[in-house]
Amino acid sequence: MISIDSALCRGCGLCVKTCAQQALFLENKKAFCKDSCTLCGICVDACPFHALSLPQKTAKEDLSAYCGIWVVAQCDQGRLLPVTLELLGKARQLADQKQVPLSAVLLSNQAETLARELIFSGADQVLLLSHSSLAAEDEELTFRLLAEEIERRKPEIVLFGATAFGRSVAPRLAARLRTGLTADCTQLEIDKEQGLLLQTRPAFGGNLMATIATPYARPQMATVRAGIFPTPKRDTSRTGTQVLLPFPTKKKPGLHVLETQIQAENSSLPSAQLLVVAGKGIGTKKNMKLVHRFAQLVGAQVGVSRPLVEAGWSDYRYQIGQTGVTVHPKILLSLGVSGAIQHLAGISGAETIIAVNTDPHAPIFQVADYKVQADCIATLESLIQRYESQK
Amino acid sequence: MEPMQPFSAQFSAYLKDESRTIGFADSISFPKSEAEVLTILTYCNQNNIPVTIQGARTGLAAAAVPFGGHVMNLSQMKQMLSLREENGQFFLTVEPGLTLLECNQKLASHQLQSPAFSAASLAVLEQMEGKTFFFAPDPTETTCTIGGMAACNASGARSFLYGPTRNHITALRVVLPSGEALALRRGTCFARHRQLHLTTEQGTSYALALPQYRMPNTKNASGYYIKENLDAIDLFLGSDGTLGVITALELKLTLLPASIWGISFFFSAEETALRFADTVRHQMPGLASVEYFDDAALTLLRKQKETGLAFAALPTIAEADRCCVYLELHSDTDEENMEKMVRLGRVMEQCGGDQSRTWVARNETDLSLLHFFRHAVPESANLIIDERKKEYPEITKLGADMSVPDDRLFDVMRLYRTTLAEAHLESATWGHLGNNHLHVNILPRDLSDFHKGKALYARWAEEISAMGGAVSAEHGVGKIKAPFLALMYGKEAIEEMRQLKLTLDPHSILGNGNLFPSVRKEAEA
Amino acid sequence: MNLIVCMKQVPSSNEVRMDPKTKTIIRDAKSAVWNPFDRSALEVAVLLKEQLGGHITALSMGIPDTSRLLEEAISCGADEALLLSDRAFAGADTLATSYALSLGVKEIGPYHLILCGKMAVDGDTAQIGPELAETLGIPHITDVTQIVFASEKELIVSRKIDGASQLVQVTLPALLTVVKEIAQPRLPSIASILHAKETPCTVRNAQNLQADTTRTGLLGSPTQVVKTFTPPPKQSGVTLSAKPDQAAKEIAALFEEVKR
Repeated sequence: MISIDSALCRGCGLCVKTCAQQALFLENKKAFCKDSCTLCGICVDACPFHALSLPQKTAKEDLSAYCGIWVVAQCDQGRLLPVTLELLGKARQLADQKQVPLSAVLLSNQAETLARELIFSGADQVLLLSHSSLAAEDEELTFRLLAEEIERRKPEIVLFGATAFGRSVAPRLAARLRTGLTADCTQLEIDKEQGLLLQTRPAFGGNLMATIATPYARPQMATVRAGIFPTPKRDTSRTGTQVLLPFPTKKKPGLHVLETQIQAENSSLPSAQLLVVAGKGIGTKKNMKLVHRFAQLVGAQVGVSRPLVEAGWSDYRYQIGQTGVTVHPKILLSLGVSGAIQHLAGISGAETIIAVNTDPHAPIFQVADYKVQADCIATLESLIQRYESQK
Repeated sequence: MEPMQPFSAQFSAYLKDESRTIGFADSISFPKSEAEVLTILTYCNQNNIPVTIQGARTGLAAAAVPFGGHVMNLSQMKQMLSLREENGQFFLTVEPGLTLLECNQKLASHQLQSPAFSAASLAVLEQMEGKTFFFAPDPTETTCTIGGMAACNASGARSFLYGPTRNHITALRVVLPSGEALALRRGTCFARHRQLHLTTEQGTSYALALPQYRMPNTKNASGYYIKENLDAIDLFLGSDGTLGVITALELKLTLLPASIWGISFFFSAEETALRFADTVRHQMPGLASVEYFDDAALTLLRKQKETGLAFAALPTIAEADRCCVYLELHSDTDEENMEKMVRLGRVMEQCGGDQSRTWVARNETDLSLLHFFRHAVPESANLIIDERKKEYPEITKLGADMSVPDDRLFDVMRLYRTTLAEAHLESATWGHLGNNHLHVNILPRDLSDFHKGKALYARWAEEISAMGGAVSAEHGVGKIKAPFLALMYGKEAIEEMRQLKLTLDPHSILGNGNLFPSVRKEAEA
Repeated sequence: MNLIVCMKQVPSSNEVRMDPKTKTIIRDAKSAVWNPFDRSALEVAVLLKEQLGGHITALSMGIPDTSRLLEEAISCGADEALLLSDRAFAGADTLATSYALSLGVKEIGPYHLILCGKMAVDGDTAQIGPELAETLGIPHITDVTQIVFASEKELIVSRKIDGASQLVQVTLPALLTVVKEIAQPRLPSIASILHAKETPCTVRNAQNLQADTTRTGLLGSPTQVVKTFTPPPKQSGVTLSAKPDQAAKEIAALFEEVKR
């Protein structure tokens, strides 16, 4: 549990208030800690008198041997995933700041072509495993290759895209290397004093942000979701080296992928990142075509409000609200939806809501981050025109 | 008139409520304060424009559906106004447009702070710290407004323990068509026998002759609440928007029980289920709800679950389970509820049930699953009707909302079952078994079913009135049940209600068509 | 089939708010519940047991009070429960937790399959499953949506990965992490609650498990929280242009910002 220096404690009780476990209490104007303490450390920061401290940890090995940043690249049907490029862009900044080399690790049947792309997007070096058998991603092989190469080459930071693949391989690797891994980071920085990787991610359901470091183990590992960092500019003048890696030690595989079925961008509304929601204010059923056209242009999915389903303009499976689907998009464009409370309950998880409605009293405006009091079809038509002219 | 806007297609949602009745209107307003309500109401009264008052339009009796004239939607008046403490009891005054869901969420998360609170209210808020309160009436549709609940004297599953909305409202502000305001506080103004004198804040006195009818001795939301030496506030609660516009309500807050458990008891036969419920309902303290779902209701749920989507999260109902009694236990400790559960298990077995055929919800997550289950039943019935409406646009669900005294429970069930079988009608039944108040829902497959169903509904209204029951136990009368109110109380009583209304609303502009057929013949002509 | 289900106790409400003035956590005194993903994992185990016979052990690491929830796991179909509880386990990150759980698994004895929820709703890391599998040296499959075939020797499961679904065969013993939708957890019955009350939960501490305490709890956790802070509040209600053309331009800019 937390150590409390009773000589420094003034009994102000601030730490007691911060403790989510209710493990701290005051007695005779001094703070004490119960067994239910989870050592989360929040109280340590809260104490103005520096009376609380966590047990001290030390490194188990020489950390100075570790150097350089790695990004584990992923590709799909011969193309690098956007998240890989986004990670390279961020990692480039970190590498420049630390003045260390940036490497990308790539397993592919077309590794040479893709390696060039990785260099154009910021890598100094590409570590390649190239073989005709590597058409599809192989979690076990990637894991074994990385485990061996990280032990051999000792990078100080290893970054993964938080894809299903990354979220399966990275933790297994962290356990093998007995190091820390921070999932779904929204911010990565280098700490100015010690050069540590500071990994920030939402905690407690996004109500609180936590910055996490791995001070005493290497490599420092993190995963990042697609779309968090911007895509870097492709710079074809950049040069770099390619290093061919040997196949890792053979081991009988535990898994056999029997079949992989590519699913066309499915209509899974709950996980949609960009969403367009139509309500009765769109006027007629044929305007649904415009809604779908715009959604197609920006790569969004389409949901509808209940009155629209009742009118038979759309199907129940696209209904958003308390009795329909609950959504959590990054951005939601609401067109002609008045915003019945049942509907609002279903969109409360949206990060940004833009509402277009002619009725200034529409309840949707009470939850909207951006309000447009205008005709939704006219606005929609302008939007479509704007995107089509860009093509 | 400035706050009043002409009615246009964008407001079409404001022409209907959950009864799926669609009306028509000439103008609409969304007042933000009592002053605005007053301005609009005075204007309409002077110009003889009918006014239909609306909240969240979740009602099932079409009371909020306009049949012409002006729609006054109160959903923007949703502030919490003040807090008061008296003898350890806490009272919260709110505007009518606040929803039950928002109110109880704010209470649960201790986020009552309101810009309208005075220093005194804030001091009371401090006294409430460390305790969690709730507003006890619980209509199934939690997105209803508090004003709407007061207007129809709503109740819900937990009314078995806590009683209807009426029991939890201690003061009202009401704006009359004349533009005057009444401040009514429970326990301060009573009728003498059946004569009630009301004085407005502006000093005008009204002498009201209360109707002579006797209300049934059962759960009831049919017509004006009338009795000897009536408390004035009770006349306005459940008056279906026909006497005035409620602009503020004082709610009596209830301490949230520390342990709330829900148990679904499944049975193979209705007979056994009824016997079980009848045995336990009056012998267990803290029994908040006694609900029932019949075979057809469970079948509807199974079907909806198969379609996946929103209802996929419903737990699987075993094939052998043909009906279900849901009980909710409110106690101070989990240990107390555990003891009650053990006792209930024993009674279930004595009645011929099997205590392994139960679902016990002991935490909020599981409890909300059982509430979702409860809510999914009417939703499923609505979906079926929406489907059938595509072929027969005229049909609607025919939902009964009638209650009888305790000793007539088995009689009324026999009535429902035999008449439904005779008429070969499809139905699904759920609702408040504890109060002998079941929502028997006729699900017409075509127009002929619809007409047969309507006839049967009228027959039930008659027989249930004869059993000493009520034709509307909780949804209010609105427009849909107005014909049955006459069956229940007789023509003379309706006339007396009408006269009472005309005393306060001489041009009869408010809630046209609610409770009794419109009295505005001359205005319409 | 011997099944182990790893379960985590989480706060019943995810609404931890921070007082912007005092920077302290405003807590709702709500009781802890099982991570909903883990309840689905338990339901999968119960369904497998119904099909193939066998024995289910629910495994958790937590404060002594967690035994109350393990009793609930028994009422929902587990045959027995093992709780790892020790001060030395406190402050564990995912690595230290998976080490402790691996000791619990060894304590339970021979097994065919370990089931974990895909992730926990309070941490959202989705790391314990793969980390535990590696610590035990068995294969793992994440994001399992359906068990297509099961025997004591092998499983064929489908899993959902980005933009595709896969059919994967695995030789047992192995570890699966399951999505919440894989099964709808059943509620306990009066009978099963009474049975669970009679079934004691086994509790083991670090010493019982012969744990290397440099690998458990805070000491065994390579990650540490440097600071916590409240994210900047959602800006409320910016009014955009009421002219469709101009509004379209502004909306497009917002979409592009998100897509970047």
